[in-house]
Amino acid sequence: MKLKIAVCVALAVLLQTNLRLVWPPLVFLDLPLVVVTYFALRRDVAQAIFVGFIAGLATDIFSKGLLGANGFSKTLIAYLIAALVTRVMLDNPLARIPVLAGAAAFDAVVIVFLHRLLGQPSLLPFAETAAYKMIATTVAGTFIFYMFDIFFSDRARQRRHFAFRRRAARRSLVRR
Amino acid sequence: MPVTRTQKEIRQRAPLWLLALLGVNLVLMSVSARDESGHKRLIQVWAQGLVSPVQNLFSGATGTGAGFFQHLGSLNRAATENEELKRRLAATETELREARMARDENERLKGLLELKEQGGYGMVPARVIARDPSEWFDSVIINRGSSSGIERDMPVVTHEGIVGRIIGVSPYTAQVLLITDERSAAGAIVGQLGTSQALGSVRGYGKNGLLDMRYVSGLETVKQNDLVTTTGQDSIYPPGLSVGEVVELKQGSATSPHEIKVKPSARLNSLGEVAILLYHAPPRTPPADAPPNTRKQ
Repeated sequence: MKLKIAVCVALAVLLQTNLRLVWPPLVFLDLPLVVVTYFALRRDVAQAIFVGFIAGLATDIFSKGLLGANGFSKTLIAYLIAALVTRVMLDNPLARIPVLAGAAAFDAVVIVFLHRLLGQPSLLPFAETAAYKMIATTVAGTFIFYMFDIFFSDRARQRRHFAFRRRAARRSLVRR
Repeated sequence: MPVTRTQKEIRQRAPLWLLALLGVNLVLMSVSARDESGHKRLIQVWAQGLVSPVQNLFSGATGTGAGFFQHLGSLNRAATENEELKRRLAATETELREARMARDENERLKGLLELKEQGGYGMVPARVIARDPSEWFDSVIINRGSSSGIERDMPVVTHEGIVGRIIGVSPYTAQVLLITDERSAAGAIVGQLGTSQALGSVRGYGKNGLLDMRYVSGLETVKQNDLVTTTGQDSIYPPGLSVGEVVELKQGSATSPHEIKVKPSARLNSLGEVAILLYHAPPRTPPADAPPNTRKQ
């Protein structure tokens, strides 16, 4: 499972570094944030925090911004969502949409705030960029969540588990 | 022996890990913010160096994808540009054609003007508006008629040479029988009047757009490419107008005339502007010893 998560995070970060090549407006889509949000919604606080930390820091490595800004933001978001999901039922796909949108908006706010706090120049117009980021990340994230559910959800895990048991049962029948 | 923690313990310790990780990030940010030189941090250099082979593969793959989408977009743009360029080319070709036509028309009209100055007789410019639809006749219709002073048997010319004569007149149009028609004829001479004795008459040959020149004495010297001009003896065309040039010649003898084919000077297949010469041949005085049955005027 940890390997899958690591692969997801790596893929998300690497794709994020190349999205602008495919189509420049795709830069507003924050794939690492989608991955962080998804794993934060799985009720494992520790895992969420580490995924957020690694994904954020990996993003910072390839970014020209402050090293650690994304790490700080995504770690905080992961913790907040993981804390929220222990109190509020967020398994419904519809309920995930505002979580994604909120995460995107919060991420933008935190990053800009940190840059301002540390005296870094903010180049892009904040409201416009944050709005585009929120829309792109929410729309794309909703579909990505569906795909992740196929691989990571409890139901998928049960299906794989029962498939293994069925195969084992068939083998035992053949032996008899 | 690995330490196993319960979910409750993990949740209790999560804020601590959070603070620790946030602290790490803050430290990194502080260091990064203090570095005014703008150089990359060591961790960034190492990480990017490690990831670069994978990133190259990714960028290659996404670059191919991006290239594909860009090419799709470019194809669309190229198709639009192609349509636009085709439209512009068609418009330019039309303009060019119109300009060439205007230039040719200008040259023709200039020629007609020179002809008018040289001839000294009145001239009515006209435009060919129709050609005879029948294959049996070689005539054209022009946009001038009796209201412009046009009369039957008036000569029609271009700056290149004679075209034909008026055979029918209506108030605003007139019909011109071309010299290439078999029913058309004109008095002509090979060479210039006064210097040549090769008199004859030309008439439509009926094929190849050539004229048949008859009655030229076989004793006269006629060569290929000799110019043929009008003599004015037909009481239709004034003398000295260009008819054409000799293109086929079968030498005659003392007892037989030359057989001459003349190519008309006027481009009769592409007639545009013509001029009707308001020319009236000088009246002929009947010979004194006219036969008794000749009507005297």
